[in-house]
This record gives sequence, structure tokens and C-alpha cells, in this order.
Amino acid sequence: MHTLQHTLRAASFCGLLAWLASSSLAAIVPAGVQLHPEQSLVRNNGSEPETLDPSLIESVGAANLIRDLFEGLTASNAQGQIVPGVAETWRQVDPLTWTFQLRPQAKWQNGDPVTAQDFVYAFRRLVDPKTGSKYARTFGDFFFNGKEVSTGQKPPQELGVRAIDKTTLEIKTSHPVKFLPELVSNPNLSPLHAKSIEQLGREWTKPGKLMGNGAYTLQSWQVNSKIVLAKNPVYWDADQVKIHRVTYLSVEDGHVDVKLFESGQNDWVYMLPPGTYASYLKKYPKDIRNTPLLALRYYDFQTQSPFFKDVRVRQALSMVLDRDILAQKVTADGQQPAYGLIVKGLQGADPLGYEWANWPMTKKVETAKALLAQAGVQPGAKFTFSYNTSEYHKKMAIFAASEWKTKLGLTVELEAMEFKVLIKKRHDGQFEMARDGWNSDYNDATSFVALVKCDSDQNHSRHCNPVAEQLIQKGLKENDQAQRKAALNEAIRLIMNDYPIIPLLQYSLPRLVKSYVGGYNTDNQMDRFRTQDLYIVKH
Amino acid sequence: MFAYTFRRLLIAIPTLLVVIGVVYILLFSAPGGPFDAERVVPEAIQAQLMAKYHLDQPYWRQYLLYIAQLLQGDLGVSYRYADWSVNELVASALPVSLTIGGLAIALSLVIGVLLGALAALYRNSWMDYTVMALGSVGSVVPSFVLGPLLVLAFAIGLDWLPSGGWDDFSWQFMVLPVSLLTLINVSTLARIMRASMVEVMNSNYIRTARAKGLPMHLIVFRHALRPALLPVVTIMGPLAVSSITSALVTESIFSLPGLGILVVNGAANRDYTLVLGLVVLITALVVLVNLCVDLMYAFLDPRSRA
Amino acid sequence: MHSLTPAAEPERSPWRDALQRFRRNKAAVTSLVFLIFVTALCIIGPWLLPHAYDSTDWDALKLAPSLTNSHFGGTDESGRDLLVRCLVGGRISLMVGILTTLTSIALGVVWGATAGYLGGAVDQVMMRIVDIMYAVPYLLIAILLVTVLGRDFYLVVLAITAFSWMDTARLVRGQTLSLRKMEFVEAARAMGVSTPRIVFEHIVPNLMGLVLVYATVTVPGVILTESVLSFLGLGIQEPMTSWGVLIHDGAQMLDSAAWLLILPALMLSLTLYSFNYLGDGLRDALDPKDR
Repeated sequence: MHTLQHTLRAASFCGLLAWLASSSLAAIVPAGVQLHPEQSLVRNNGSEPETLDPSLIESVGAANLIRDLFEGLTASNAQGQIVPGVAETWRQVDPLTWTFQLRPQAKWQNGDPVTAQDFVYAFRRLVDPKTGSKYARTFGDFFFNGKEVSTGQKPPQELGVRAIDKTTLEIKTSHPVKFLPELVSNPNLSPLHAKSIEQLGREWTKPGKLMGNGAYTLQSWQVNSKIVLAKNPVYWDADQVKIHRVTYLSVEDGHVDVKLFESGQNDWVYMLPPGTYASYLKKYPKDIRNTPLLALRYYDFQTQSPFFKDVRVRQALSMVLDRDILAQKVTADGQQPAYGLIVKGLQGADPLGYEWANWPMTKKVETAKALLAQAGVQPGAKFTFSYNTSEYHKKMAIFAASEWKTKLGLTVELEAMEFKVLIKKRHDGQFEMARDGWNSDYNDATSFVALVKCDSDQNHSRHCNPVAEQLIQKGLKENDQAQRKAALNEAIRLIMNDYPIIPLLQYSLPRLVKSYVGGYNTDNQMDRFRTQDLYIVKH
Repeated sequence: MFAYTFRRLLIAIPTLLVVIGVVYILLFSAPGGPFDAERVVPEAIQAQLMAKYHLDQPYWRQYLLYIAQLLQGDLGVSYRYADWSVNELVASALPVSLTIGGLAIALSLVIGVLLGALAALYRNSWMDYTVMALGSVGSVVPSFVLGPLLVLAFAIGLDWLPSGGWDDFSWQFMVLPVSLLTLINVSTLARIMRASMVEVMNSNYIRTARAKGLPMHLIVFRHALRPALLPVVTIMGPLAVSSITSALVTESIFSLPGLGILVVNGAANRDYTLVLGLVVLITALVVLVNLCVDLMYAFLDPRSRA
Repeated sequence: MHSLTPAAEPERSPWRDALQRFRRNKAAVTSLVFLIFVTALCIIGPWLLPHAYDSTDWDALKLAPSLTNSHFGGTDESGRDLLVRCLVGGRISLMVGILTTLTSIALGVVWGATAGYLGGAVDQVMMRIVDIMYAVPYLLIAILLVTVLGRDFYLVVLAITAFSWMDTARLVRGQTLSLRKMEFVEAARAMGVSTPRIVFEHIVPNLMGLVLVYATVTVPGVILTESVLSFLGLGIQEPMTSWGVLIHDGAQMLDSAAWLLILPALMLSLTLYSFNYLGDGLRDALDPKDR
């Protein structure tokens, strides 16, 4: 037993070393590239962050900031790969247990070493209902007792994390989680400096007080204007950090964002406003970037409403919507049609689509019309489509409505509303068809399965397939990745044949980034960039 | 006059209480709450949040709690900007809005009165039509078109000024936003001034002065201007308040960290404390400004003294 | 329009006087003609044009205006004909603009004149209510109205009126404070004329000039507020449109399809300018002191 354990341990350690040697840490500047003397970056974050407390963040913008101010066990580099963070090495001891070895040089801003206990404190705080984090269950459910703690049944001390010693962290999961290293790179799972939080209370996130362990410190914060971060000299990998000052803007309007880019005040547009991709592609060919994201645009059916009770009606509507025109003409910003739940690039399940996806449109329309007739829906029948006001959603809605009118003779009443109102309607089931979208929190199929699972809060279509549900439960208990994938694939196939949602497009992120910003990579499908992976080329 | 002022300030208190009550009702009647988000909040956590912010209490008790807090000068914590108190948010946004709005109002008053008076004195001539046409640009072309046009011309085309942003009151960031707001306000003030001036110039005592042979410039500056300014001053009140508190389009086009953005984001996110805090501020401003305007009446037109 | 000042010349009705004065104002006359033309165009035009305002054409996206194809005004990013949308949108904007202005002016005049004439405690209370209305953010009122009353078009009129009447009220009150001390008012009171008659037959007519001008100042704000509300889902819904909505959408396309902004903006600007000149002309024409 000893010899076997030794051999296994040696083998996995060698594997890790080899892997580590090949992955890059912080900004690797290619040979021959000259750096600009002034290494500072201005980027737009898309909105004012709701908070800088890692346990409480929800938005993409806030996550970007936390990624610079804190460092978790692992991190995501510019290519979207998982690299060591505070943890140097890690291994899966048994299907439900992982250990992480922390590097001793990792320090907090004030010089205190980052210890395993800092992670224990942080994870417990995230899942503790008293903290009030909206992501408590998203991540908490993966930990042993996570669900029980977040629903208040057990105290946070029972969470499956413990510090074996100052530099060794042990995590127990509730079911086999092969992608745990990727999961813990998430900003919500950053370590926290308990003393600062206990001493300063609500004020601990303010400039001059925020205690982080990342490559940058919080220098200044003007609400609705800008947040400035400065290089952290105490960061363990500070030598490799090229950019010494990054300014995050909080401009929400895409056009204003681009104007700031054009007048030289902004190096990095958050996202191009709708309908402008083609013209900016021509105008700024060197600065335009477009990355397919692990995100899906789709429409929900309220499967319990009278109009959409019948699966044949749902299938008909899904079939006739021409996703090619939607992608190429209506949205025209490089998005790809989606005919299934899983998008390309997502781990854990295959991006399978409907078999009718490649039929000629005439055949699809014929079949759909027959289905409608069988279901007893006459031309002229009416239903409402709810969406939140935005140019983008409006354009897509107009297209969808015109497809269903010209091809199936159905009348669609478009209903625009504020975002909060739409959220409430979706949660309460007070709609017939609603616009929806989902961005992965972590790179695994389970993030998307949550949209169509039986007891999930994210399942707005209120559809439940008990057979598929069993398959999902079986798959989640599997440690063998091939078996797990097969089970999930089959479960998803069964669910999607019930047509609870209409998958439309895989999101892409068209933006303008000055060509002198080095390190930007379109392989990064979750749009996670640490400023320490970027550099400014001489210009 | 002091007694009048004191009485008005005293009445401001019940006014404020009524406004807070009305806004409370509106906020709680609007569908959706501050915690409704794409990711559903688990029940145990929702319960915690509601208790933490006293949202599980009956409405009347919440109202009283708020008033009690208000009396201590504490406007509460924001939901949307969770790390900041409402006091801090207002304190950082108010100077920006005051500066931009204040400068714009001052400029538009001077320019508007000038244009309106000129148009009135040269009534029905080409001077009248042209002056009014120029002055009206700000009301006829929507601000969300005029603003980007200004940016296109001066920031991107000519590269004289930044296209937006704010840097600690440096003047370059103020030129375009103040210009936009001024253009918008000038049109209203100019038209009111013109109409008012025409009426005054036709009144009996002005005609008498003309018949007596008084020189035109004396008539205008010493006799006509004061009463003509009355409606202008009346309209200045709400115009000044809205320039400071509701300059949302200007703030979003030029990315200014002002009150307008806070008001709209507060309402959209159902951020009860932020909206109420801003409403308290706006009410105070409204009361103060309208009081000043009413005091000006007595100065400008002795006949209106009660 | 009668007052207690001595009549001008005998055998000349004040209305004919007013008409003559109006006709002398070239800009006002031109504007009136233009407004009638635009209104007629918006009402009849859509029936004469080949396209419907909501028919999409995914092969004819963002076409520039041309005389060769049937899209004289070009198309938008969903292939819909711009010209017919401008005309249909004009119906909505004109209706909202005129209706809302009328109701808010009416309410403002009654409120302000009553407060100003009666004075004292009544004035204080009425004006404090005005203060309260100023302080409440209009977005909240609009959201509540939609929640409670649903999504009817006339709601937009109601919502916008609710926060537009206060300016007129304050304006009118201010003027009333001056007017009530004038000799003809004192004379009427001495003669025993009842208070409502004094307010409505003597004071209000003397305000109308200013009020008319302020009405034309109100119209553009109303039309644009409607587009803001519609954008938030509180006004007209797609595919129906209005000038405000068209201009807002068109402004986004300035770089790629400028006609989407220029055509509706031109129509709106010319119409608003016309309202302005018309208002000024009416004010001048109806002023009894203007000889």
C-alpha cells in the first residue's frame, strides 16, 4: 500500500510539475516586443461595481476588480487556462477530497502571510446565510455540507473545508467535482483577511483600508466615475507584473464607451453597442476583437401556460425561427446559431443540437404547420412575449415576432418592461414567452443544466422531466468523466426534446481594445483577464 | 420678510414628511424589490437580508424608523452601491451636479434674458426670428442627439476637449456638459423673456414713459426689465432644481458622477434608501429655491406684496 | 376677450383685430400652414404609401433613401420603411404632444390662478402641494401608474401631465399676484362680481399670452418624455413608434445609417419650431394692449 501510494503521489506530482512548467504565470512578453515606458491601462468595466467584498459580488465588473485585488487558490490566465494562484500544487486524494499546497511567499498587502485559515474563513463566510451572498449556493453546493449551511440547517463550521496546517488546505466536496481547480479560481472564493473585516466592518472595502493579496491595491474609488488600482509591491510575483496602474471606468452606455475610446481616454471598450460591429470592423480593423463566450441567448416557454402547454406548439415555434438570419443579419456581430443547451467550449457535455437543425427552411415550416394543426392552434392565435428594454433584445424580438407571423400566422404581442419587472415575472411564472440569457459561472455543463433541471430556481420554464432528472443525479455522482458526460448528454437530450426553451445564439463579446494592449486573447471564453497578464506595447 | 421666511421654512417640515410618505408608497408599489436578481436568492438568505434592512417590518414602522434615522442625519445604507452609505454617495455626487448645473443656469440666465429681450425689442423683424431660432435649438433638437453631436465635433473631430469623464473639477471636463445644459435651458428662458418683455413694453406705464420722451435704454433698464423678469425668475426655480438633480442625459453622455445617475439607478434597482435620501435632498432644494423665487417677487414687483 | 378698458374704435370686433395682427406675422402664418400640412400628411400619408409601418424585410436592411426603389426614406435595421414610420410616429407624437399640453396647461392655469388670487393659507397649501409634486421623482410615478392601471396609450398622457402641470401653475400664480392689484380687478370686485368670474373672465385672459407661449415651450418636452417612457416600457410598444422613439433609435445609428436620425429629427424640429412661432404669433395677436 505504501509503495503504491508513494508511486501514485510521485506520478501525480511529476505530472503537475510538467504541467506547471508549460503554463505561464503573469505577463509573458514575447521576444522582440518593446514595452511602452508608461505602463498604465484604462478599461471600461461596463457598470459601477455593486461592492468590492468578494463574498458579495455578483456582476462581471466587480469580478474583474476582485481578480486584480485578490488572488484565489488558482487563477485564470489571459488564454483562459487555469494556473496556480496562492496554491502551488493540488491533487485529488479521493473522489470527494482535494488538498491544496499554498506557496509560503504569498502575502497580504500588509506583509501578513496568506494562510489556509484565510481560505477557510472566506469559504465559510460565503456560504453563511448571515452574510447574505447571492452566490452562496452556486458555489456552496459543491462543498460537503454546503447546501445545509446555506439553507441554515447546519452552522458554517460544518462546511467541508479545513486547514490541515498553515500552508495546506483540505476541501471535501458533496459529489465528485473534477473541475474543482477551475471552480476555486472564481473571485467569490478569494481568501479574506479576517482581522481587517472584523475590525473595520462595513468600511473594510474602502480605499486605503481594503486588505487584499492580489497583484494590485485599491488606490482610489469615485463612485460612478472611476476606480484606480496601483501595483502591489508585496505581491509574490510582482516582478512579472508589467502594468503598474489600471483605471476602471463605469460607463454603461456603449456609445459613450466608444466615444471615449475614440478620443483616446479609454483603451478597452466593455462591449460594442448593438448594430455597430460591421462598421467598427471596417473602421478599426486592428482594434476589433470578438470572442465567443460560454453563454447562451434563449427564450423561455412558460410550459404551464395554456398557450404553451402542448410540446408540439413549442417545437413548431422553435423550428421555424431562422437562426442563420438572426446571426448574420439581425444581430450581425459574429454570434453563432445555437440549436441546443450546451455551447461550444463548455466542458462536461457535448454541444449537440436538434436533428432538424440542417433541414431546409421549407421542410421545417411544413412540419411546424402540421404540428400546430395537430395541436389545434389556428392562424391568428395570439400570445405575449416579454422582454426587458434594450435595443438588442428589441431587435431580436421584432425578428422573432415577424418569423412567427409570416411563417405560422401567429400574432405576437411584444411587451417591453424594466429589467426588475421582467425578473419578477420570470420567477413568478407570470409570462407566456420571455427573453432570457445565461452566462456560465464556471466551466462545466452543470452551470447550464441548472436552467432546465427540475427543482432549480433558474428554471423559468417550469418544466420537469423525471427520467432526465434521475440521469443527472446519476451523472453527478460519477467520478469517471466519460460516464458523467454520457449521462449528462442523454439527460440534456431528453429534456431538450420536450422543448422547454428555444436556444437561439451563443453570445459573443465584440469590443474594441487598442492594438497596443498586449496579452488580450480571444481564446478566453469567460472574459476573465487579470491586469497582471497584460502589458502595453510601445506606440 | 423674516417672519415670512421663517414660516415657509417651518412648513417645509410637513412637506418633507408628506413627500417621503408618497415616495415610500410609490417605491413599495412598484413591482420587484432590491434583491430581485438574475440569480435567485436562496430563501434563508433572502430572509436574512430582509431582516437586516428591516424590510420584514410593517410599512408604517419602516416609515417611522426611517424618520428617526433621518433626524440623526443618517440617510441609511444603499442597496445598489452596497459599500457606501447614502450620505457618502450624495456627498460625492452633489458637488459635481451643483457645479455643472449651477454654471449652466447662470449662463443660460444671462444669455436667455439677452436673447429674449433683443427679440422683444425688435419684434417681428428678422432679428427676432433669427435670435429665437438660434435660442430654440436646445429645445427642438433632443439632448441625446445634441450631446453626441457636440462630442463628435469638439472632442473627436477637433480634439479640443475630452469626450467625457470627470477629473476633480478640471475645467476641460466641464465645458461640453455645461454647454449642453445651457443650450437646453436657454431656449425656455429666452422664449419666456421675449413674451414677458413684449407684454411689459406694451403696458401703460412704459407707453407713458415713451410718450414722455425718455431714452430707450433708460426705459428698458430702469423700468421694463424688472417686471419683465418676473416670469423668468418663476421658471428659473424648477429649471435650476432640475438642472442639478435631473440632468441624467447630460450625465450619461459625458459620464459624470452626478445626482441624475443616482436617481435613475436608485429607482431602477428599487434602492429604497438611496431614492429616499435623494428625495430628501431634492425636497430641500425645491423648498429653498421656491422660497427664494417668492422672495424675489416682492423685490421685482411691489404690487405682488401681499 | 373683453376687459373693462375702454373699447378701441367702434364697430371693429376684437377678433377681427386679432386675425389681422396674426396675418401680419409672416413666421406665424407660415408655421400654421406647415403644421396643418404635417398633420394632414401624418394622417393621410400612411394610406398612400406602399409599405406598412411594421412590415419587416430582412433582405432590405438599412437601405439609404432613394427614389428608385419604393423606400423613399430608406429602411431601418429591421428592413421597415422609414418614411411611413415617421408619419405613423408623427400621429402619436402630435397626439401626445397636443393632448398632454392641453391637459397640463388647463390644470396648471386653474390651480395657479386660484392659488394666486385667493392668497393666504389656501395659496400656501396649494403651492406646497406643487412643491411636493416637484420633489417626487417622475420615474416612480410613471412606474406606479403602469403597474396600477395597465399599459394603455392614454396613460402616457396622464403620466406626463402629472409632472408637467406644476411649471404652468407657478407661472400663473406669479402673474396672478401682480394682476390682482390692478385697477380693473379692483373695480370688478367693487362692482360685486363673484370670485370665480373675476378669476376666469378678468385674470385668466390677461395671462393667456404668457400661457400660450409656455404651452409651446411644453410641447417639445412632452414629446421627448414620451419617448423616454416608451423606452422604459411605460408608453407605446413595438412595433408602434413615435418621433421620440425614432430619434432615439436613429441616434444610435449615426455612424452607419444617418438618415434614420435625420428624417425624424427634421420632422420633429420643423414641427416644434412651427409651434414656437405659432405660439409667439398668437400671443402677439391676442394681446389687447397691442395696437
